Amino acid sequence: MQKHTSDENTERVVAELIQRGFDVHRSTGSDHTVLGVVGNVETIDMREFELFDGVQEVVRVSEPFKLSSRTWRRENTVVTARGVKVGGEAVVMMAGPCTIENEKQLFETARRVARAGAKVLRGGAYKPRTSPYAFQGMGVEGLKLLRAAGDEFNLATVSEVMEISQIEKMLEYVDILQVGARNMQNFNLLTALGQVRRPILLKRGMSATIQEWLLAAEYIMSGGNYEIILCERGIRTFETATRNTLDISAIPVIQKLSHLPIIADPSHATGRRDKVMPMARAIVAAGGDGLLIEVHHDPDKALCDGPQSLFPDQFARLMDELRIIVPAVGRTI
Amino acid sequence: MDRIEAEGELTRLRDAIDRVDEVIVRLLNQRARYAIQAGEIKGHLNLPIYAPEREKEVLWRAEQSSEGPLEGTAMRRLFERIIDESRRVEREAASEGVKS
Repeated sequence: MQKHTSDENTERVVAELIQRGFDVHRSTGSDHTVLGVVGNVETIDMREFELFDGVQEVVRVSEPFKLSSRTWRRENTVVTARGVKVGGEAVVMMAGPCTIENEKQLFETARRVARAGAKVLRGGAYKPRTSPYAFQGMGVEGLKLLRAAGDEFNLATVSEVMEISQIEKMLEYVDILQVGARNMQNFNLLTALGQVRRPILLKRGMSATIQEWLLAAEYIMSGGNYEIILCERGIRTFETATRNTLDISAIPVIQKLSHLPIIADPSHATGRRDKVMPMARAIVAAGGDGLLIEVHHDPDKALCDGPQSLFPDQFARLMDELRIIVPAVGRTI
Repeated sequence: MDRIEAEGELTRLRDAIDRVDEVIVRLLNQRARYAIQAGEIKGHLNLPIYAPEREKEVLWRAEQSSEGPLEGTAMRRLFERIIDESRRVEREAASEGVKS
């Protein structure tokens, strides 16, 4: 309450809270009175109470996310996709082209990343492109290639689902369904993904706060699908030197707030090949559970995001570097 | 007072505090039982659980009657918590009274 507000003002707020079924803890200080509200506060819009006379500020003490919260589950969640465990001791490398272009491109890239130590093959079949004139992806034919390459090189697969109608088809071919940054708050899609029993890789929206991101995870989890991998991919800031600003601090923040595994995507975060490797090292050093990296066997000819894709040799070198960093943070790779 | 004596005295004081606490707990429960009965009656009569005037009176009385060493405002803070809990049990009693 505001400094030295009248008893009547305080009483009006207390009466309203009690009328709505909450318990109130009143604590009178020398200047301020603090009212603690106990009960299911999710059901009300706390802003309403800020409009009462004498109320200075309404602060939410409890977190609005539940199932994704560490209060609800203390131990780390380990998500398993085709035998690959994300969120356990091992740092998991997911690599592959931005977009599946053809068999040769995908198989060549898959072969090289598998040999370097990747466990999951990425590749987009449906692409959310900023421009409607850019290559939109191969669709189901791309998914079939992804599955075939995954089987050939013993890799789990991850690919982006853009809309509800694609889910069923994707379940046939894909081990981890990715929700892209632009769809992070597509609540109908999230609700539908809550009904499937397949791991979801949930990318952070480019302007999403950590709370909004965890609430997006909450949408999926409230449907009963608890297998979620969070993926930081850079957020919009005023900086233009990189495509986005990779928010590495999101990793320890999430690990404190949530039990869900968190990986990061240094390729989309920076948009520049030469920035990918340093950021990848930083992500692992900060405690990330894995990396999602774009690798293309011939990036200069890539149909999508060539400038941010690593050459396979660079990916192999990165893996060697990570093998030095990983033991220092108590992990394996 | 040497160290052994002092430790013995501390133990005695802690025992005394424990006995006082037992009495406080018993009395708080007695108070809560009265509050529950009041809540049931309020439920029957359809009266509001929250009675700010009555709360003010209770707090004022606690504040005034304290002879120290706890000062009046300290006593008021303690009673605010007691009232918070009374209000809660009263509310539960009143809603059960309406249901039955």
